[in-house]
Amino acid sequence: MNELNVFLFNTLLFSLFFNAGISLYGIFARPSLIKKIIALTIFSDTANVLAIVVGYRMWPSPEQSPIPPVITTTNPTTEDITWFASQAVDPLPQALVLTAIVIGLAVALFLVFLTLQVYRLYGTTDVRKVAKLRG
Amino acid sequence: MRIKKLLVLGSLIILVLTFSLAFTKGALGYYPLPLPGVRTLAYWYLITTLNPRYPSFTAMSPEAVTAIVWDYRGLDTLFETAVFFLAVVGALALARGISLKKALDNANSKDNSKGLSLICKTATRLLTPLIIAVSASIALHGHLTPGGGFQGGSAAAVAPLLILVIFSVYFLLSKGVAEKPMLVLRTAGLIGIYLTALTAVLIGLITGLNAYVFQNQPKLDAPVGIPAQVSNALISGTLFFFNLSEYLAVASGFTLVFMLLSIPEEIVRRFISGEAHE
Repeated sequence: MNELNVFLFNTLLFSLFFNAGISLYGIFARPSLIKKIIALTIFSDTANVLAIVVGYRMWPSPEQSPIPPVITTTNPTTEDITWFASQAVDPLPQALVLTAIVIGLAVALFLVFLTLQVYRLYGTTDVRKVAKLRG
Repeated sequence: MRIKKLLVLGSLIILVLTFSLAFTKGALGYYPLPLPGVRTLAYWYLITTLNPRYPSFTAMSPEAVTAIVWDYRGLDTLFETAVFFLAVVGALALARGISLKKALDNANSKDNSKGLSLICKTATRLLTPLIIAVSASIALHGHLTPGGGFQGGSAAAVAPLLILVIFSVYFLLSKGVAEKPMLVLRTAGLIGIYLTALTAVLIGLITGLNAYVFQNQPKLDAPVGIPAQVSNALISGTLFFFNLSEYLAVASGFTLVFMLLSIPEEIVRRFISGEAHE
């Protein structure tokens, strides 16, 4: 059982980096600006999933999975807090990812608008043609 | 050209393999599976997020993620809000000279034939208030349940996006959702964030006590603090006001960019070619 878990976890990590590699290829090698933006969003989502994986913890017991980092009572006793800290996942990567998603959406919108204006002015989104333009 | 392509492919393959090897061999701090516990820093956050026994360390919020976003790592979030602000400002600068108001004057705004079918329009009329209500609930309960200003604001921006697609940009403009009110709302949200960050310092200046920027609960050397409860309802000090301001800023910023993206093509072409300036 443990070997299967190790295999699955390593496959998860490898597939994340494989996904990142494919999206980086899209950013470097595709000439269309729209495809570059699509690859960039895939890359940032891969990075977010990786950050969530960093904050993961092993199941405390086979029946009990880790809980979200939210205390369910507004007036907790010391036992409540100790139990909560022994079950909850790491909240720090989640906090970083939640802002990263919204900022990524804003930057993606800005890039889409930039590409739209490039297309309106020059009639193409091919970076090879845009780079050759003068004036 | 072929050499360049091979170079890109080869370096990417090396990158993927090196990272995979490093992370499966313990670059995350554990090998080969995640540990049953959390890191010391995460344990500290979980223990102190709502813990009346440590009054000078706690954030008084049951939601550890919101506590980190706006209390423990509040300065980070301030700069991320600045990045968001700059992205919207960049989109606005690209659209300078293109006036939505002029576009509205030229077009027949009373034309109801624009947009999708009657079924879509009726469904949108029913859904829009629900979306706004759910997003407000996400944002205003951000310190109690999963959620917060960022998530609530993004959810609220779906409502104007639906209206833009199903009705038209003219419909949204005729309902009073234009560039200027959205800019004002977004600026109000940002001013709210800065004022909330400075509240403790302002109280400290008036009373002559020591206080810090971004202070929430009273600390050992800074007795100024924002009350965690108002008439027996937990508001977690500054967290509630941060969430409210961020909700306004994110929702109106996204609405602004969505509206700029949906200006009809022929109107933009007229502005770009300079006909509309005269």
